[in-house]
Amino acid sequence: MDHQNYTVEDLVCDESFQRYCLGADEEASKFWETWISSHPEKLALVREAEQLIHIISARQGKLPVQLEHLKDSIRRFDLLKDALQPDQVEAQAPVIPIKRNKVKWMAGMAASVLALVVTGYFLLKPATVEPPVVAEQKSDIDGTGIFTGNAPRKTVVLPDGSVVTLRSNSKIVLAKNFNTGSRELHLSGEAFFDVRSQSIPFIVHTDEVNIEVLGTVFNVCAYPDNELTETSLFRGKVAVTRKGHPEQKVILSPSQKMVYSNKTGRLTGTENPLKVVSMLPDPVSHKAQEIAWVRNRLKIDDEPLGTIAAKLQQWYGIHISFTDEDVKAYRYSGTFESETVVKALEALQLSYPFNFEVKKDSIVISK
Amino acid sequence: MTDEEQNIAYWMQIRKGNKQALFDLYNNTYFHLVRFGLKITANDELVKDCVTQLFLQLWDKHARLNEVQQVRAYLFTSLKRMLIDKLIYYSKTDKAINKLKDKELIEELPYEEIIIRVQHDEELREKLHKAIEQLTPKQKELIRLMFFEGLTYEQVAATTEQSIKTAYNTIYNAIKILRKVLK
Repeated sequence: MDHQNYTVEDLVCDESFQRYCLGADEEASKFWETWISSHPEKLALVREAEQLIHIISARQGKLPVQLEHLKDSIRRFDLLKDALQPDQVEAQAPVIPIKRNKVKWMAGMAASVLALVVTGYFLLKPATVEPPVVAEQKSDIDGTGIFTGNAPRKTVVLPDGSVVTLRSNSKIVLAKNFNTGSRELHLSGEAFFDVRSQSIPFIVHTDEVNIEVLGTVFNVCAYPDNELTETSLFRGKVAVTRKGHPEQKVILSPSQKMVYSNKTGRLTGTENPLKVVSMLPDPVSHKAQEIAWVRNRLKIDDEPLGTIAAKLQQWYGIHISFTDEDVKAYRYSGTFESETVVKALEALQLSYPFNFEVKKDSIVISK
Repeated sequence: MTDEEQNIAYWMQIRKGNKQALFDLYNNTYFHLVRFGLKITANDELVKDCVTQLFLQLWDKHARLNEVQQVRAYLFTSLKRMLIDKLIYYSKTDKAINKLKDKELIEELPYEEIIIRVQHDEELREKLHKAIEQLTPKQKELIRLMFFEGLTYEQVAATTEQSIKTAYNTIYNAIKILRKVLK
């Protein structure tokens, strides 16, 4: 089929494109996703057609996205229920040790989208703990550092295009060769990652574990001086390895939670966590509280983009500037909820288009 | 198996604690429920939230669910009740909405009103209003059938007793007008 010369009207009137927009048909979705990614020059056209369908379908929503909301709600609901029955936690699924076949594993992961939350609860660090063997990684990580200090949040764009928002008193240090053959960094504190999908694996080192992903969205909390590390997985797959013990590796599947205790040095992957300290859903929004620190609910009531940008700048801790005054005066209304500054701007673009460019520590908005 | 027989099969599985069946039932009924909800209130966020809540409740009480003969009707009724409860709750002070308590009195919102009211942006609403005014009744009807009710060209043509080609051309011209005015 040749869609090369399609106009916006052709797209809107195409049944298969309509099904893609509603996410009502897997085959149509696959086809159009592939088509769009191989025709980047058609993106503006596609967006306009999508927007038009969105309007005249009365914002019925995209089925897979809505289904994910339901699955998230049910996951948190189940976790909450399990938390209220602590006696049953023991009888959970065993740890799944992963095979040595790394390539196979990564191929499976590349196809999946995942959101991961790692939380640390290290209150007491016992002196008897065996020092982790991390020399080989430590020597690699002595490159550029990014610190938040006392700022509530700070957002940076890494050389590979991934967006990272750091929480207060957190620090990431990029490996020297970041983005040339490997994407590795060390985190101390808490950060929310929106990783650009690439074939090069993205590895987050914390003091106790390594988290390896390809392209995903996840949150890592690893403030030093805590007692436990927890990894809760919402979607897709992720591998967590204990520092200095590559054989102690688990793959987590959705709704599994990894708990690492520094006292016993045990890595536990269970269907339901031993402790559900951080998985309590927010009573109002039913969304994960783990990332409440970074999620920004933006209520805009007919405000100019200049004002909105100032709010985003303050929340995410990244400088936002404009190339001309016209675009600053564009007015928007609506309520957005987003985890990254890029997602927030993309949401605004949908209602009235403008361009923006992300640089290392600033964003430039233009017409 | 008809759609409804399929739903009944999912329902039986849900009662046994099969979570996948819950998701299958959701996939099978989502658009029907959202459209039904939008005809009661043109608040898409509220409707989508209630649909999620409805399935979460099903999951919560799956072991206590009764056998039902009409799954879709059951879901519609539950959603309607939930929406009306929320609407009454949100507008306790608004007397006009109190007539909603009489659940039979609810009038379905017409399609044009729904698509205008669900848009969050005031300027877009105005433009959309102007755009719709320029469509013929026939064009409006076909746009509704295809984009709101989710029919195929074949079904649209059968419903309106015309050829697929005519249906396509009518919709195409309507989209052209909408795009021009909305731009």
